[in-house]
Amino acid sequence: MTSATVSAPVATPARRRRGRRRSLTAWLFLLPAAAFVLALTIAPFFQAILMSFQEWDGISMETPWVGLENYAAVMSDSEFWGSMRNVVTFGLAGFFLGNGIAISMALAVNAAPRARAFFRTAFYLPSVFSVVVVGLIFRWLLEPRVGVINTLLESLGLGALAHNWLGDPATAVPAVALTFVWYHWGFAFILFLAGLQDVPKELHEAASLDGALAWGRFRYVTWPHLAPVTSIVSLLTLVAALQIFGTVQVLTNGGPGSHTMVPTLRIYNEAFSSFRYGTAAAMSVLFGGALMALAIFQLWITSRRSGR
Amino acid sequence: MVKDSVHPISRRTCISLAGAGGLTAAISACGGNGGASGGDPSELLFYNQSRGQEAALTKLAEQYSAQADVTVRVETPGPADFPAKLQSKAQSGDMPDIYSALDEGMAPYYKAGWAMDLTEQMDSGWSDTFTPLALSLTRFAEGNNLEVPPGIYSAHWDLNIFGLFVNPETTGVDLATPPATLEDLIDALVEASPDQGLFSVAASLCANLLQELGSKFLSDEEIEATLSGSAPWTAPGWVDAFGAFETLRDSGVIASGTLPGGSDDNPGVEKSFFSVQDVGAIYNGSGAVAVARSTAPDFTDYGVVGLPPISGGAHAPRSVVRVGKGAAINPKGANPEAALAFVTWLSEPAQQKVFAEEAGLTPTAAELIDAGDVAEQLRAVAAGVDSAQAVPSTFTSDVRTAIGAAAQSIVLGELGVDEALEDVQSAQDRSA
Repeated sequence: MTSATVSAPVATPARRRRGRRRSLTAWLFLLPAAAFVLALTIAPFFQAILMSFQEWDGISMETPWVGLENYAAVMSDSEFWGSMRNVVTFGLAGFFLGNGIAISMALAVNAAPRARAFFRTAFYLPSVFSVVVVGLIFRWLLEPRVGVINTLLESLGLGALAHNWLGDPATAVPAVALTFVWYHWGFAFILFLAGLQDVPKELHEAASLDGALAWGRFRYVTWPHLAPVTSIVSLLTLVAALQIFGTVQVLTNGGPGSHTMVPTLRIYNEAFSSFRYGTAAAMSVLFGGALMALAIFQLWITSRRSGR
Repeated sequence: MVKDSVHPISRRTCISLAGAGGLTAAISACGGNGGASGGDPSELLFYNQSRGQEAALTKLAEQYSAQADVTVRVETPGPADFPAKLQSKAQSGDMPDIYSALDEGMAPYYKAGWAMDLTEQMDSGWSDTFTPLALSLTRFAEGNNLEVPPGIYSAHWDLNIFGLFVNPETTGVDLATPPATLEDLIDALVEASPDQGLFSVAASLCANLLQELGSKFLSDEEIEATLSGSAPWTAPGWVDAFGAFETLRDSGVIASGTLPGGSDDNPGVEKSFFSVQDVGAIYNGSGAVAVARSTAPDFTDYGVVGLPPISGGAHAPRSVVRVGKGAAINPKGANPEAALAFVTWLSEPAQQKVFAEEAGLTPTAAELIDAGDVAEQLRAVAAGVDSAQAVPSTFTSDVRTAIGAAAQSIVLGELGVDEALEDVQSAQDRSA
């Protein structure tokens, strides 16, 4: 009988020195990237927090401390909190509607291998456009007097349905939300499609042999395999929807009134139109903090679901 | 036994460290604030906001460059981008030698010392060029609401006279005998198009419209006091003026039942009037004539008349006039004397005539105004400049935005006049 003994490697001083040297070299290689992150991400982040306690018009060299005044102003700013409510609507639309369309279309395209290349390109195409181009296209489509949609409705004898889509508060938010979903769902679609292609075919075949129908195969084979993709897509689409800016700025600029105002646009206006960078920074801190909390919560849910 | 000593840093490590240090230093330098532009003194940069005057300005700059020791280069980032880009330039200390001085939003530049005080030059005879109204609108008095040190920080070659742009063909309005009251105008518009509204005004110009409507109920002193924050927006005169939005809404003359908003709301209104011609009457500034010349040069059959007043009120109606295109000079530039000489030359009547003829601007030069040297469409309102409101204070950004939003809400039936004015007052308090 032979016995094998495994001994732990002995950490000799020479080996420790080699390890330290290797570690130092790695840190030195990381240093340029770390300097960039420090200068361009971390420093501005802390600078924004600092600025939220100061007053600055964006031009003068004086930035007096004002304590919590900026936060007090934000707390009583009904337009900012209204914009927070609006962005929740956009977030929900992007999350449920956008991801719902994306996963449905990914399932459909995955089931049609011959047309896959064409639809992959066609559905992803809107995501390639500039947000300004998308905004202008939809503004032209939704224009009340000469817009394509109203003109089409009138030519079909449905003139009664013609509407001022972006000018009426009742339809402005849904119109902007749908534009956002149209623009962004292609990205989620591509990720879902990639996830679907990774699901082993054998499992589907085995499930079919066991008598599983289409819903059963989706529920017990496809969906569990898509969980990691779903988590990341959900997080990305939710954060993108909550950070919506360009679509709103080009389509309505927050109007009519403040019915489509979103926090990013409100912050932009506060800084660049009202010259109140301190209040804008306080808004950014509150909004950024909310986004961060949401992202951490979603990642926590995901890690719990995957049992890690 | 191996000695546990610190190894000397190798040459490769040294180079890596030096590289990383240099990179960090370079990145840090990107955020530096130079404090003054350090360009070539033989070249002046004019940072221009207006597309309407761009061609005429470039032509004049070339003409000046040919006769002077400096070359003037015109850069036009576009009207929408101009404010943010100028702010970036101020933040980086890279301000242009000369830049467009807008009627509103320039106070931070003046307070920060980015504009030369032209009072001395004006008092030495330069002011003779301009009409008294144009001068009064550019002068910051002691204790002004924007807290700008007293002085004159800009020179202008354009007056922006607000009025009603009318297309006689679609509205049936005779420009020789325009409607006497707002109610008459509404009747004419309803008669011309019972089903579709023909009147439009951009949300961003509702403040000017309100100021003009208010002139029937408030004196210039009362309007000035409100704009400067020493009198409330909830005064009865403003209630009557804001009530006009309800009248317009209830009569159905507002195109599409809403006021266009957004960052390019007024360009959209101008496009509807000049190019698409699906609205027949708009409230706008005379600067729109320059826009029409560049975007719809074939459409000239329109006129600009004073806004018909609301019935009632104790005062004579007075139009709103603001300064339009003009420039401020960066005193920290490479050659501020040359910049001053160019702007002085640019504001002379001969050059203002070029702006008037080629860009449709309304001159600030007294001799041109007296000679009626303005675009044909503007003659009627230009003749009334002498009786315009003399209100030097401007709307703050907050108040302008609040009036636009409140007017939209009234038109949409979401707010009453009293609530709207409370919103405006809150905005005024916020910007104090």
